[in-house]
Formats: sequence, C-alpha cells, structure tokens
Amino acid sequence: MDITTRLARGLRIGILPALLDLAFLGYLWMAVSISYGYFRFGRIHYSFFPWTTMLLVIVPVAAFWSAWDQTVGLKVVNHELKGGSAAKRFLYALTWPLFPLTVLTAPFDPEGRSPAELLSGLELSEVALIVYRPWCRSLTGWLTALVLLSTLAAAWGVTRIDPSRLRTGFEKTLKFWRAIASPRWDLLSLGLRLLAETVFMAIMATAFAVPFAVFLSFLAARNLMRGPIARPIYTVLRMIGSFTRSVDAIIWAIIFAVWVGTGSFAGVLALLVHSVVDLMKLYAEQLEAIDPGPVEALTATGANRLQVIRYAVIPQIINPYLSFTLYRWDINVRMATVVGMVGGGGIGFRLVQYLRSWSFPEATVLTLLIILMVWFLDWLSARLRAKLA
Amino acid sequence: MKLLRPRLLSFAADLFLWAYLLYSGFTLYYLEALWSPWRPEEKLVWPALSPWGWAVVVVGMVEAVLLTRSFGPSLGQRVLGVHLVGEGGRRPTFAQRLAYFGFSHLEILVLGAGVWLNPQNPWHERWAGLRLEPLPPLGSEARRPPWYRTAYGLTALLLIAATLAVGWRLTEVDLQKLVRFAPKSLRIWRGLTNPSFEYLFRPDPRIKLSFLDGLVQSLYMALLATVAGIVVAFPLSFAGARNIAARSPFGWLLYSLTRGFFNVFRAVESVFWASIFAIWVGFGPFAGSMALFIHTIAALGKLFSEQVEHIDPGPVEALTATGANLLQILRYAVVPQVIPQFLAFSLYRWDINLRMATVVALVGGGGIGQLLFEYKDDLQWNLVGGVIILFMVTVWIMDYVSGWVREKIV
Repeated sequence: MDITTRLARGLRIGILPALLDLAFLGYLWMAVSISYGYFRFGRIHYSFFPWTTMLLVIVPVAAFWSAWDQTVGLKVVNHELKGGSAAKRFLYALTWPLFPLTVLTAPFDPEGRSPAELLSGLELSEVALIVYRPWCRSLTGWLTALVLLSTLAAAWGVTRIDPSRLRTGFEKTLKFWRAIASPRWDLLSLGLRLLAETVFMAIMATAFAVPFAVFLSFLAARNLMRGPIARPIYTVLRMIGSFTRSVDAIIWAIIFAVWVGTGSFAGVLALLVHSVVDLMKLYAEQLEAIDPGPVEALTATGANRLQVIRYAVIPQIINPYLSFTLYRWDINVRMATVVGMVGGGGIGFRLVQYLRSWSFPEATVLTLLIILMVWFLDWLSARLRAKLA
Repeated sequence: MKLLRPRLLSFAADLFLWAYLLYSGFTLYYLEALWSPWRPEEKLVWPALSPWGWAVVVVGMVEAVLLTRSFGPSLGQRVLGVHLVGEGGRRPTFAQRLAYFGFSHLEILVLGAGVWLNPQNPWHERWAGLRLEPLPPLGSEARRPPWYRTAYGLTALLLIAATLAVGWRLTEVDLQKLVRFAPKSLRIWRGLTNPSFEYLFRPDPRIKLSFLDGLVQSLYMALLATVAGIVVAFPLSFAGARNIAARSPFGWLLYSLTRGFFNVFRAVESVFWASIFAIWVGFGPFAGSMALFIHTIAALGKLFSEQVEHIDPGPVEALTATGANLLQILRYAVVPQVIPQFLAFSLYRWDINLRMATVVALVGGGGIGQLLFEYKDDLQWNLVGGVIILFMVTVWIMDYVSGWVREKIV
C-alpha cells in the first residue's frame, strides 16, 4: 500500500465511523433531551447540560460501544472488530478517543491502522460472514431502537402535537367547512384564466430551456468532450449543473420574484433554471449512450463534424430528447403551482392569497381546478408514455 | 379499420386547433392594442362581438378546418393516423381535393348525416373519388413530402408560433426587466454571499425562533408526516390495489373508494390543508405537519398501491392454492415483494415533505419557511441568505443520505 491508500484507509475506517458514531450519540442526546424537556416541563431544550458535558458522556459510550459491538458507523463502512480477549477490547476502548490521530498514524503504518488498533493489537476488517442476531441481543439494536423512539417523542414535542386540540378546535372550523362546501362559481372563469397562465408558464419555461439545454448537452457529454480544452469545460458545466439543480425551485422563485417582481415571469425564470440544467443532464446522458458505429462510419467517409452530428448523432437522439422534454414539461406544470405560491404568479399565487385571508369559497374553486389539471396531466402523460415506449 | 372514431376525433381536434389559433390571434391583438395592465389576471378575455361577427368567426373556422382536411392530411388527421387517398392508393389530384372540399360543405349542412350512415366511406368522399385510409407506418413510404409542404406541418408551425407568442405576452416575459432590474437583484445576491447567522442559535426576539429551531421543526414536521403517512397508507394501499381488493363486489367498492380518495387528496395542495388546520389547531408546526400528513397519505397510498398491482402474481396464486387466508397471502406473498420499493418511496417522500414544509409556512404552518418568508417580507436579505444556505445544506445532506440508503435497499 502506498501512502495515499493508507491514509484513505485510515480516514475511511479509522475516522469516518467514529465521527458517525459520535454524531449518532450526539443526536440521541439531543432527542432525549428534547423529549424529556417537553414532557416534563413543556419546553424545548436541545441539551439540558452544556455541550461539553455531552462530549464527556458520549465519547466514553462510543468507545465502549465500538469495542464490544459493530457500531452504526462501522455498519456503514461494513467493517467489524475481529477476535481479541476482553483485556484487548478494553484497551481498544481506552485508546479509542485517540481516533483523530489516525491522520498521523495511518500514513506510516503498512496497514493504515488507527492508534487504537495499533495499541490494542486488534484490527478492523471487512465483514466476511453476516451473522444474524435479533436486534434485542445487541447494543447497536437497543441504541437504534432508542434513537427511533426518542426521535418520535422529540418530533411530537417540537411540532407541538396535541391531539386534544383536534377535538377542541373543531368547532372553529365548522364555519369554514361550510365555506368550502359553497364554492364561488363566478370565480370559475378567473380560475381558468389563471390556470391557463400557469400552463403557459410551464410551456414557456420548457420552450426556452430546450435550445439552451440542447446546446449545452453537447458540451456536457463526456464522449464528445475530449482534449485539454474540452474536458475542463465538461467538468465545469457538470459542476454548475449539479449545484444549480440542488438549489430548490422555491428558492429560485424567491430570488427571481425579488429580481423581476412578483408575477408569472419570475415563475417562468425559476422553472427555466431548473429545466435547463435538468434537461442538459438528461440529454447529455443520452448523447453518451449513443451507438458509436454510425459516427465512425461517417467519419471514415470523410464527413466533417457538422455532417457527423447531423446524420449520425441526431437520428439516434431525437426520440429520447422529445420524450425527456415532454417529461420535463409535465414536471414544470406540476411545479408551476408551487413556484407560483412563493411569488411566481399564476394560480398558485392567487390560491395562497385567498388562503391567507381564509377566503375558502374562492380557494375551493381554484383547488378544484388544480385537481382537474393534475388528473388531466396524469392521463396525458400515461398516454404519451405508452405511445413513446 | 373502423373509421368513425378517427374521423370524429380528428374533426374535433382540427376544430379545436383552429379555435385555439383564432383565439390566440385575438388575444395577441387584444394584449398588443387594447390591454391596459391594471388587472393582470384579465389578460385572457372573451371577445365582445356582434352576432354576425360570431357567425363570421364560426364560418371562417369551419372553412379553415375543411380546407386543411381537403388539402393534405390536417394535423388532426395526422395525429390520428389517417389520410385521404384516390383510386388504388394514388395521391389525390387537385381536382379531387377541390371536389372533396366542396362536398364537405354539403356534408356539414346536413350535420354529417353521411358520416353517421356510412362511417367507412361517406358520400362526400365517394363523390370526390377518394377514401380515408390509415397512414402507412413511418419510413415505409417511398417518398413523403417534407413537413413544410404539408398542411399538418404548417399548422403545427402555426400552433407552436401562436403558443409561444401568447405565452410570451401572457407570462409577461420581459428580457429588459432582467437586465434593468439586475441591480435590484444584487441585494439578494449580496445577502446570499454575505449571509447573517445572527439568529442561528439565539432566537429572533420578534419571531421567537432561531434558525436551528426552525430547521429542527421543519425536519421533524416532515419526518412525522412521513412516518404517520406510511402507517396509514400501508394498510390502505392493499385496499387500493386492484389485484388484491377488487375480487368481490364489496371489494371492488372498497377499491374504488380508496382510489378515489387517493386521487382527490393527492391533487389538493398541502397549503389548502395547512390553512384549514391553522384554523383548527392554531398556527404552528402542528398545523403544518397535519397538512403534510394528509397529503402524504394520498400520495404514498397511490404509489404503494400501484406497486402492489405490479407484483408477480405467482406467489399469490401459490398461497391461494394452499388455502391461505387473505392476511397470510398479504404477509407472505405480497409484502416481501414490495418492501424495498415502499422504503424507497417513503424516503423520497420525506425529501418532498421537507421542501413542502417550507411552503406550508406561507399560510401559518411553522418551520423554517416561517423565518424565510418573514425575513423576505422585511427585506432583511442577509438573514434570508443565512436561512437559505442553512436550508440548502440540510437538503443536500438529506439528498445524499437518502440516495445512499435507496441504493442500498433497492
């Protein structure tokens, strides 16, 4: 093993599981504290004692846990502590807190071991044989059960769940149920217009996204982007793409609502950003999967690059591109409502306005229209998928 | 091939298409020339025409439809896969098409009586010496005219152009705005690049929540809604699966009711429920989680029951043959087949619920969205930036973890 492999082994086996275990126990500490505080005093405390106290408790627990059982962290990396007498395991537990020093020991040890492994003579090795044990027979099982239980209790406390309020508060809603049951049908035409606007938001976002995405997809296809200039472009594009996609559409809608003002243009832009990067990725993956035969054949006849793309690449990708575009349009229509709620215009914006002022007769009409739209889309996309498949 | 259905459907499609085109033209004219931007939702209006004006519109529409149908397959005919051919499958001549165009008028005047009497080859077609036939499959024809020389190609082009033009006006696309208001957007970018974590741990005195409180609330709201949703949706999913439930008339009723419930409640936005529960149980995370819970039941129930419908019927039949009862069949033949997908869907749902937990805050659902929208309304961009970054990091971590878990179990 060279030095980087040793260091990598040290980081993966020596440090990562330990950090995961500490995070697990730290979470357990917090969840228990929240639930105890809520059910005892009716208040939320993330930690009853200072956080330093928590470290004094969870580090020893984690040390003995990892010495005697396969901890959650070790389960994640699929390793376990093999053999060894009780004395050795005790030594392992005592030296376990030195795990951050793995960065120093691992590069200089032929096996890339952590200090605890070195000092106790035990070794963490890949799980060779999975032995089934019921959860109640292992510490890990009990701790996991405790975490699940305290999570539910903490969630109950944090979200202030109080089933009795469902009973006592019901009277207050009677008036509103009646309002819901008597929709203002004269708003139907307004609702239809807003619905049309929402659908057009999705259409415009998809239509704008397609040219950009087609162009970018050629730059983001690994098999087309070879060479010293092309490869960095590919890498940068892919990175920008995955970053942009991970920012939620709601956040984009907020940004654009500030930028160009509340309205459907902001919604179009928010949907557009996601559509471009999403379609770029889907298209590029399709390009990467094309059959190289026709490309080679045309290249052999002396066709230039444009001709190769026109006659060998495009015929292979046109159908998947179409079906991806339809799929994206479908998603855009569904998202347009949500994007609209946070300032993107269309039916979502109006719906939230009505709901904030508790105007249920109006909100019911809009909701019914949204239901119809969702149904229609489901039907349509099922039909189209059957056609294209 | 039965031709009544494609005949009627393609005619309806063409009629709809031309109505759409006409209305788009009108809307463009209206928005360009008449509209004053006071009531943004009144961009689509009903044209005020005199009775004879309507007559002209209707007649013009029908003429356009008949013209495109006579000369080359119209878009409706193309989509439904039929076209006109002459004797022996030859292309119709110009005279034949003209005759067809004329006779179609007579057919319209008698309200399509010929089509009802002889759907395969009505008299207006026979008189013109033509018949309607299914389009040959793509590529089997020797030569097909390029799309820009066919009626369907040109109408499709018109359709796309009209849609984009109307969409452009309707959604008020204004590229100038993007540039002109770029300085305005600077403040949100500045907030994002220079976020303030002042209230990360310390509660904001005004909202009485710290960022961490909001985040923990949102996470737990999403978690509780998902867990409780699974608990309810799991048993319901068997009632909503055709292959399990719909075996007897009573079962069929149960199946339809469950599916109907799923379909309706899945399509109702969670903000609607959030607003009702905000009245019912008071503003706060409880209302938000109830709203997400209701939506989750329906959404997961539908996914689950579709999964149950797609199981391999073999084990079910085998167990039925041994005389097992329904519960035993479910336990030993159905559940083992669907558990991995159920888990994957549930994780996916938790992701969605976390995002929706932000949105329900708009109507009083609590969680981190409350902070986000409060700060946005107060133009405190640095705090907005802080909240957004915290939320994004959480979503990333959750995406990563749930992706890892999904990979492990499926």
